[in-house]
Amino acid sequence: MTEPVIDKPTASATHDVIGPGHTFGSVTDKISVIVLTQKTPQGWWIGFGLSFLLVMVLFYAITYLLAAGVGIWGVNVPVAWGFAIVNFVWWIGIGHAGTLISAILLLLRQRWRTSINRFAEAMTLFAVACAGIFPLIHLGRPWFFYWLFPYPNPMGIWPQFRSPLVWDVFAVSTYATVSLLFWYIGLIPDLATLRDRARHRFARMAYGILAMGWRGSAIHWHRYETAYLLLAGLATPLVVSVHTIVSFDFAVGIVPGWHSTIFPPYFVAGAIYSGFAMVMTLAIPLRAAYRLQDLITMRHLDNMAKVLLTTGLIVAYGYLMETFFAWYSGNEFEMYMMANRLAGPYAPMYWALLFCNIIVPQVLWFPRLRAHVPLLFIVALIVNIGMWLERYIIVVTSLHRDFLPSSWGMYSGTIWDWATFVGTIGLFLALLFLFIRLLPMISIFEMRELVHTEESERN
Amino acid sequence: MTTGAARQEIATERPARIAFAAGALGLAFSLLGAFFDRVQFFQSYLVAYIFWLAIPLGSLAILMLHHLVGGAWGWVIRRLLEAATRTLPLIALLFVPLFFGLQALYPWARPELVAGDPVLQHKANYLNVPFFVVRAIFYLALWGGIAYFLNRWSRQQDDVAEISAGKRLRRLSGPGLLLYFLTMSFAAIDWIMSIDAHWFSTIYGALWIVNQGLTGFAFAIAGLCWLENKQPLAGLVRQDHFHDLGNLLLAFVMLWAYMAFSQYLIIWSGNLAEEIPWYITRNTGHWRWIPPVLIIFHFFLPFFLLLLRDVKRNSGTLLWVALGVLAMRLIDTFWLIVPGFEATAGHPLHWLDLALIVGIGGVWLGTFLWQLDKLPMLPLQAPLVAEESAAHG
Repeated sequence: MTEPVIDKPTASATHDVIGPGHTFGSVTDKISVIVLTQKTPQGWWIGFGLSFLLVMVLFYAITYLLAAGVGIWGVNVPVAWGFAIVNFVWWIGIGHAGTLISAILLLLRQRWRTSINRFAEAMTLFAVACAGIFPLIHLGRPWFFYWLFPYPNPMGIWPQFRSPLVWDVFAVSTYATVSLLFWYIGLIPDLATLRDRARHRFARMAYGILAMGWRGSAIHWHRYETAYLLLAGLATPLVVSVHTIVSFDFAVGIVPGWHSTIFPPYFVAGAIYSGFAMVMTLAIPLRAAYRLQDLITMRHLDNMAKVLLTTGLIVAYGYLMETFFAWYSGNEFEMYMMANRLAGPYAPMYWALLFCNIIVPQVLWFPRLRAHVPLLFIVALIVNIGMWLERYIIVVTSLHRDFLPSSWGMYSGTIWDWATFVGTIGLFLALLFLFIRLLPMISIFEMRELVHTEESERN
Repeated sequence: MTTGAARQEIATERPARIAFAAGALGLAFSLLGAFFDRVQFFQSYLVAYIFWLAIPLGSLAILMLHHLVGGAWGWVIRRLLEAATRTLPLIALLFVPLFFGLQALYPWARPELVAGDPVLQHKANYLNVPFFVVRAIFYLALWGGIAYFLNRWSRQQDDVAEISAGKRLRRLSGPGLLLYFLTMSFAAIDWIMSIDAHWFSTIYGALWIVNQGLTGFAFAIAGLCWLENKQPLAGLVRQDHFHDLGNLLLAFVMLWAYMAFSQYLIIWSGNLAEEIPWYITRNTGHWRWIPPVLIIFHFFLPFFLLLLRDVKRNSGTLLWVALGVLAMRLIDTFWLIVPGFEATAGHPLHWLDLALIVGIGGVWLGTFLWQLDKLPMLPLQAPLVAEESAAHG
């Protein structure tokens, strides 16, 4: 493999992508011990327990929804798209960082991706799972969800192919499939390591089955590398396509505030933005709790902060263009939409979103502040909130003032909206807790490779 | 520099002289044409100006991108990019004639049109002659200023003792790129979008930024293909560099298609009376042949060619792809601008279009070649490729 980056950026040369003194053995021990031999820490039980409680809340909310219908939510005309779409877009967006880290950074030969790709990919899967729930339960009769697929049927009913909502079905299901495959294939060599190291018979069998007979032979590695690279190539367009199509859900309509040509790139940037914020929200506590500071180093946090700043600026550019063109258009409805955002009933949320997404991340310009871990954590959390608010503003403010003042209305989520939303956060965290307990959260074999390359570079 | 291999050394003088001569000839004819058809002169001038502007500005953006993210691909084309950015004073100078033709170009500059049009009256706070002039001067001065410091510090970086130059370059490039994005977006609105004074599209600025990035890359790749076997670079530019540059060109081709198609899909499906005319003009009549040409030759052909490893690793083939992309950029630029004039006076294709593309282009290319000769073709601090080539044979 050729190495294109022959100049080392001096800013990051101060930190390595892996702490000093690591060998093949120490890396393997350090990561696999979390799964295999370490006693499950108390914090894990508490965290998992709490998230599991929230999962129960989710189940309860969904059960009641199925029994009573979407009337239990706050949605109504004119705001017929409420929390469900807001949360769908939010979760789908979060997933994008995982794919970006694993696919695009792999193709760009960015070595710093190695220790964060595994759990970022897991995060993607769980986020997509949470996202997928919302459009399904938003259907009036979720048990007929398969009508969304174009299959020959005796009713002679086909989906409307001109509707981006149908494109969504394809985009999201492709995305989920490729992400799962990518994650699983990347896990196989590590599953074999766990199989070989596990003491417990059941663990040996479980990891053994999942490792699919991996022996680490040269042929295995050769095929593995080919498959992984191909999947990375396949996953790359998905980073862009999925959120582009999500943006089309809004932009191909003619609702002021939705019908905007900047939406595709601006949504993609927003997705990566929120995704990196979530990776940082998770990585910072994880590296502290499991003492992984020499595997997820300051260099990683620094780079992620830079990505966060860059994508945040693109999002800010999107806001600026929207605002400017609302005025420039000279169109009464466009201008009213923006005035309503800036000073209407939802204005506090709009200003809060500008604060969270534009003002706060500016601290990341300064290297010294990027080195301040608690600050990074706080910024990441704020960006997560800001990106949720952004989707809320896009969905709600555009709809609640219809073209005809007689059909204006207000929207707010009910307790069931909140329960479902918080429930999916619980689901996400519960799956993540299970993941870090049962599977290596950092790719063991890629870290070994990294030890090798770093060593050969030092000599 | 060794004198032994004089045959292989870069000789910019002769091509520069030819370029200047062609440019002078083109401009002379254009001036002649201006006497007969003043409106057509300005419209053709704008097309040529916008096309050639994309090279220095795209180079400016790529240069800053390179300072921020590094990479061997940037070191080998850096002096080409820098020479292109050093033409920005010329670009600023070339803008001056446009100030005298605003009425021929923009409906909002004609009081009689504005008087009967409430939308234009609304926009008059932004689209008015004094403010337009101030903005244009501001954009051009800002780009020139950024280019000045990028070049100055890059020259300082050649001096071994000067360590902080690289740091300053990086420090300028972040905010510089941000400022370029903002100013170019508004420049695209002012100079191009406002020809169709009612029409608007929020992606338009970003689309022009991508257009310029693509043009800059294609031009730099073509330049590197020309220089590759000549003295200071001979043996240092390897297939890997072309491979990386080819990949970047591919990325920009895809980005262009992505943005252009997104804009089309959204406006087409919305089908609103204030947006769709822009596409109807460009999709009907004699213009209807251009979109298929763009789809095939601006996207599919370069896309599939650049997927092929052999095309990217061979400078001979990559040169043709890059030149093809440049030709398509010219057609696209033409298609984006000229249909907007038809409502006023313009013709689909006029001999002045050609004369001005050659005129401005010749002068620009001559200046570029003259500037190219001023610095060593490879930055002396470039982390040299010697160890790499040893490692990979």
